[in-house]
Amino acid sequence: MLSENELKILFFLKNVKKANSVEIAKNTGLSESSVLSLIELLKEKGLVKTEVIYQKYYALTEEGSRRKEKGLPEDILISILNGKEKELNEIKNLMGNDFNIAISWAKKKGLIEIEGGKIIPKVKTYTSSEYYALNNIDQADKNTIQLLQRRGLIEEKERKIVIVELIREPAENEIGISNLSRDLIVSGAWEKFKFRKYNVEAFPPYYTISKKHYFKEFLEKVKDIMINLGFKEINTGYIEMEFYNFDLLFQPQDHPAREIHDSFSVEGSGKIEDKELLNNVKQIHEKFWKYKWRQDITLRLMLRSQTTATTARVLASKPKIPIKTFTLGKVFRPDAIDATHLIEFHQLDGLIIDNNFTFRDLLGVLKEIFYRLGIKEIKFKPAYFPFTEPSVEVYGYLEKLGWVEMCGAGLLRPEIMSAVGIDSVAGAWGMGIERLAMSFLNINDIRLLYSTNIDYIRNVKIRIE
Amino acid sequence: MVTIVLNKYSLLGKLKITEDQLDNLLFNLKSEVKPIDENNIEVEINADRLDLLSSDGIARAIKGLLERELGEAKYEVVNTDYKLIVNNVRTRPFALAAIVYNSKIDLQELIQFQEKLHATIGRKRKKVAIGIHDLKKIDSKIIEYKEIPLSYRFVPLNGSIELTISEVIERTEQGKLYGHISISNGVSPAILQDNGQILSVPPIINSDKTKLDQSTRDFFIDVTGTSFEAVVQTLDLIVSNLAEAGGTIGKVKVETPMNSESLYSPLLTHKTQTVKVDYINKILGVNLSEEDSCKHIMRMRMDCKAESEHIRVIVPQYRIDILNEIDLVEDISMSIGYNNLEPSKYVPTNYGTYDYMTLVERKIRELSIGGNFVEIFNFVLTKDTKLLEGNYVKILNPISEEYNAVRNSLIPILLDFISKNQHARFPVRIFEIGDVVVQNDHSDTGFINDRRIAYAIMDSKVSYEDIQAPVHYILKSLGIEAYYKETKSEIFIEGRVASIMYNKEIIGIIGEIHPSVLRKFDIEYPTVIAELYLTKIAEKLKS
Repeated sequence: MLSENELKILFFLKNVKKANSVEIAKNTGLSESSVLSLIELLKEKGLVKTEVIYQKYYALTEEGSRRKEKGLPEDILISILNGKEKELNEIKNLMGNDFNIAISWAKKKGLIEIEGGKIIPKVKTYTSSEYYALNNIDQADKNTIQLLQRRGLIEEKERKIVIVELIREPAENEIGISNLSRDLIVSGAWEKFKFRKYNVEAFPPYYTISKKHYFKEFLEKVKDIMINLGFKEINTGYIEMEFYNFDLLFQPQDHPAREIHDSFSVEGSGKIEDKELLNNVKQIHEKFWKYKWRQDITLRLMLRSQTTATTARVLASKPKIPIKTFTLGKVFRPDAIDATHLIEFHQLDGLIIDNNFTFRDLLGVLKEIFYRLGIKEIKFKPAYFPFTEPSVEVYGYLEKLGWVEMCGAGLLRPEIMSAVGIDSVAGAWGMGIERLAMSFLNINDIRLLYSTNIDYIRNVKIRIE
Repeated sequence: MVTIVLNKYSLLGKLKITEDQLDNLLFNLKSEVKPIDENNIEVEINADRLDLLSSDGIARAIKGLLERELGEAKYEVVNTDYKLIVNNVRTRPFALAAIVYNSKIDLQELIQFQEKLHATIGRKRKKVAIGIHDLKKIDSKIIEYKEIPLSYRFVPLNGSIELTISEVIERTEQGKLYGHISISNGVSPAILQDNGQILSVPPIINSDKTKLDQSTRDFFIDVTGTSFEAVVQTLDLIVSNLAEAGGTIGKVKVETPMNSESLYSPLLTHKTQTVKVDYINKILGVNLSEEDSCKHIMRMRMDCKAESEHIRVIVPQYRIDILNEIDLVEDISMSIGYNNLEPSKYVPTNYGTYDYMTLVERKIRELSIGGNFVEIFNFVLTKDTKLLEGNYVKILNPISEEYNAVRNSLIPILLDFISKNQHARFPVRIFEIGDVVVQNDHSDTGFINDRRIAYAIMDSKVSYEDIQAPVHYILKSLGIEAYYKETKSEIFIEGRVASIMYNKEIIGIIGEIHPSVLRKFDIEYPTVIAELYLTKIAEKLKS
């Protein structure tokens, strides 16, 4: 298959049959060097034969180029004199290094005479034949050439010229277009050619597709499920008071979960405007857990260790009943980081407050959420959480892992409801998300959910669901 | 969760049930069973059911579920002529004692039971500590609890020579672990017999004198602590389980300086808790009769009597988890079996609502993908030295220096990510949306989460416009006509960093990262970054 540039050369040769590489370059607009390589290709394809000749030619020397530009010294002298006598010294000053050459050639050519330190011109204007020759060496006569050589203005050189002769016209199927261009389309020239074929079966070069993060996509899917179930999304901050993370949730201040190695603490303390709520919580703790409750502990800051802290804030906000809310966010717990543990992970917490809400309703909601998450088989186990009674753990059946504990839930204790002044039944649950995501995304190292390897992220397959 | 190890065959033998039955019954008592070896199983017990921390306690509960025994487990109680004199002990003021005769409890299990109580209700012996002695090895009927100097000598448990209390603290493992808890002003609490011989030094260690052995059947138990309530409960739990193993409980007279009236321990505290059947049915969504309810309560080993208005439950000493009527409701639901409660069909009756920020985040994520940035997702916690400017939240008890602070900007997070990906195919174009934590005086904690989105491009050649162009058109697509104002920042090259402005407010920062910052993160290629303040942008979009 022939390229456009090869075709250009063939078109030119079709008319002249034989031409040299210099002529070809001039007529096709291609550079001499590409013409030489294209000719080689055409020769290989048996379309042309070539003959290499070495041609002598004259090239300007450095001085020759200068003279071609500015004129020969004797011509300049005549032009300076402009038909008038002038002092030798004056001209010497004007012409500098060229003075001697100018005087010598002007005298030799009979253009001037010198008398008593003065130059007397014989002519008013003069242009030397050498100057014309410099501008058109090809047409100069032999004498002038010799003269130029003698004056050191030109030198003889040799160059390689390839003479190309068309020996066979290309067959139709040898002609093709590689890059379709606007010109080819608009001129209709494309009709004369075929399109060159590509190796369409070869693999393409590397190319990055941008995509959303796989784990974020899973989190969004979980949100969508909750929205579709009629829940309102809420969010609160990572920095939390122990009050919302523990005390309001009926967790006594000496509870093991509040020890230093079970949550991250942060310097400083918060403030709670609702003094009545504070006092209610104090009284309930002291009545049921029988210890001296301390306000300085409850106001301490920490990184929330459960999104139930967000649920606690909803409870404390005096919400209008009935309500259904959820939150999906990060929680923080000290742990050794390995394939199944991280020190920060996501939880989904949900809350329903409704007068007629029952434990069986709670089981029903949980069953529905898991069903929509794709877990069709679940079972319920009695459990213990300080803030719920009855409490339940939900186990889901995952193909690879079998029965896995997935969620803690229950009806909020009446002590909590009375502390926040809500006379109604509330169901609540908290669910770790990472383990579920690992199962869905078929990932066996939890750290891969937060991979810092861009190639891994780029290569993760998108799930259709 | 607490775990105990039990001999499978002895438990199955006691109850005459199969292994599968045991698994199922324990599942319904909030517990889980894992086999350890041919003979032993590990049982996970929930923190509220401390009565289940020995095989005798488990057997008591299971006999109820199997309806072999219903209602409260009643144990023989006798008076003894033993007396505990409680003096003023400042660091652990409360002490009680009890005797159990002729209990056939397994010695290993008893020690395990004691240790698990120490760890849970005892709060690692800080709140409560238990000393269990071979009654036959105690020489006097009068036992005293008082403060003694640290120079006092005794042979600690499993020791062979007498040591002072100070030496016990320095030399023994127990001393190192618990020595600091109750010693103050050069004195330690101690339980002594009337000749002054030490029986135990709570909460550290017992004396070797009264050491238990395989033949011990009669036990003297002392419990000391900082909470009277917890001391009472702990002693009640221990004697109940020893009695369940066939023992007879012996009451010890306790004299205290505060109380003129003496009391007899164990107290075997019984509590009356009433509950209405309507309430049970309303909470569980079931339709139980009074008799059904009572039957379930009795299966849970409590006595129950239906009265005209409600049912009256006598909560025995071993059920310290029953605080309120709701706890009885849970016991009834456990007796029914959670998996026998049919979940109600849940049908949503209203529309849910997304947090507005979620909606903004979703839109800008789409646009960012359109701008050809790959989404990444990093931790919120980071290393303080990586953070580049401003105040940040420092974790007081980090578990690793790699994660000792909360990020206050996404810029260092992206730089850290990029630093790890210099061998990937270029260009690396990434973005992350997420929360950073910043100070805020209007918040009740003094801090707020601030949602941000940041973009970064690393390439062999990259400049300001390469990031400005996509970011500009992402914002424009959201209807935010941004403009740029040259600014100064140590993170960026001077003259190549701008504040991103909208309606005269700063909504982000954009520029070329300064080589000194790149070197700090060991990055060898030019990098441009933009960070947008999404919380602020969302406010603008909403108004």
